[in-house]
Parts: sequence; C-alpha cells; structure tokens
Amino acid sequence: MKLYINGQSFPLTKNGNTLEQAINQYMDSQNKSLDLSFAVALNGNFISKDDYAQTKLNDGDSIDVLFPIQGG
Amino acid sequence: MSLTIYGQQLNSRLLIGSALYPSPEIMKQAILASGSQVVTLSLKRQNPSELSGAKNWQYIQDIVKQTNGFLLPNTAGCKTTKEAVTLAKMSRELFNTDWIKLEVIGDDYNLQPDPLELLSATEQLLADGFKVLPYCTDDLVLCQRLYDLGCQVIMPWASPIGTGKGLMNPYNLETIRLRLPDATLILDAGIGKPSDACIAMEMGYDGVLLNSAVALADNPVLMAKAFANALISGEQGYLAGVMAERQTAHPSTPTLDQPFWHQPGSN
Repeated sequence: MKLYINGQSFPLTKNGNTLEQAINQYMDSQNKSLDLSFAVALNGNFISKDDYAQTKLNDGDSIDVLFPIQGG
Repeated sequence: MSLTIYGQQLNSRLLIGSALYPSPEIMKQAILASGSQVVTLSLKRQNPSELSGAKNWQYIQDIVKQTNGFLLPNTAGCKTTKEAVTLAKMSRELFNTDWIKLEVIGDDYNLQPDPLELLSATEQLLADGFKVLPYCTDDLVLCQRLYDLGCQVIMPWASPIGTGKGLMNPYNLETIRLRLPDATLILDAGIGKPSDACIAMEMGYDGVLLNSAVALADNPVLMAKAFANALISGEQGYLAGVMAERQTAHPSTPTLDQPFWHQPGSN
C-alpha cells in the first residue's frame, strides 16, 4: 500500500493496513522510538492515539506525524 | 502582577515564546529570567532523526516544571479553519492542555490573521471545549466578535509578527481596551522594545506575549529581565493613574513669593 507520510511517499511494506502499523514502520524507518512525543492526523483529520489500531488505511492516504517544536 | 487566563492565576503578565534563541540553554535562561509562566510552542513535521527538536522539547518541559508554568501551543502556519482545528486537537492530546493560541494566517507577506477563518475556527474550538486565545488584528469589531463567541482572552497584534515595530496603531489598541473592559487583553506580536510593552500596560492591557524581541536581542537573558521590569512599570503606571495631558506649560515650582527682581516695576 502506498501512503504519504509528512509529504513523502511511504510504502507500507509489511502486512497490515492500520494507522498503528504505518506509524510503527515510519518511526522504525527513522530509527526513532515510539516513546517520542508526537501526534497524528490522517488526511487532515486528527486521530487520537486510542484509535491508531482501529483506523484502517487506504491506498494514497496522507498521514502527518507531528512533533513538538519551539514556537512563538 | 498576577494575570488570570481562563481561571488560572499566573504570577507574571508576560507570555513568552520558545523560538529563535541562539541555543536551548539560552532559551531556558531567558525564559526563567523573564518570570513568565506561560511558554508558547508548536507542532511541526520535523524529522525525528534530528535531535534539535527533541532537545528543545526537553528544555521546554524543564522550564515549565521549574516555573510551575503552562504550555501554550499555537497553530502557527495554519491558513484554514480545518487546518487550525486539526492542529489544535493534535496539540491538546500531545501537550495535555485545552489552551490554544489560535493563529489562522490570511496573508503571507505580513502574516496577518484571516478574520473570517479565525472566527470560524474559534467557534468550532470553543464548542469542542478548548480555551481559545486568538491572535488577531487590532480591529475592534473582530475583537468584539471573538469576545461574544466566548473568548475570555483576546490577543490583538501590536504590529506584524517578528517586525519589532511596536505599537503601530495605539488608538485602535486603546479603543479595544475601552470597549472591552471585561476581556483579558494580551498584546501579541510586533513588540520590539521594553518600552513597547510598558506602553501596552500603561493602556491597561492585561499582558504581553512576545518572542523575537527577547530571542533576537544581543543579550536575551538581560532583555528578558528588561521586559519583566517594563511590564511592572507599565502596570504600576496604569494603576497609579497617569496625569491628564495639558496643551500649555504650567510651572512646576510655586510662583508665590517670588524674589523681588520678578516683581512688577523692578528693574
């Protein structure tokens, strides 16, 4: 399944079609722990952490994984 | 010098940003020196393999813990209601706060808020339980509409973000204060000098939110202290009651019993 994560094409290579699996694979590809602080939107809509496992993905879905950053 | 935001009492009337400092350590020192208990931050797509974001986040958490303070996430960069609402919800989950500094930008040149999108986003977020702190222009009617929607805090700009131009339209800002006496008014954006903050407080504003003026100073820590002092001076000036301006000169020294050479007829 072909996804877009943070604007970049991201193939979901392993079996699976949930948001949780996509996030796991994305963070793994970045060599980062899932313990990092982040929040997620799917196709521009906020998805709660509690719903990652139940959220099914479709080909072409766009995911944003956002991290805390300094701001004014 | 206490400020109340949505029922939360704070020791300082200064709200401060966490961006643009020369280093995370200087950011921490400056924010602590400012006395502020409210630190703004944001959410972005930064690459998690880059350590700078994570390091800054750790520092910000340390600051908030040390000051018994609060995070104020913003929706910087959003241009539509949907973007702003989504980012606000992401921030609420991640930062565990229902406070949101709502920014919906309508023009890329001067980063001017879009009043229509701002009102629309405000309405949705308030209905969803957020405590909205809207960043807006110094338009009285817009501020009135935001207040009528239920915003207890309104944050008109002094001038465009990051310009340091200070109070471009003092008349507008004074009128907002006059017409919305019960709103908590925080001057946000465009502050350059401590005297700008002092003027806002002399007008009766409840607080000031700034970032660049401290972060881009030659000495951010000293500038943070200067702003803290400026806010205190301005508030005390407001509370003390500024004298009425007069059109003509009036001698300060009593004129009774002047020496003889001032008497009529003397040479």
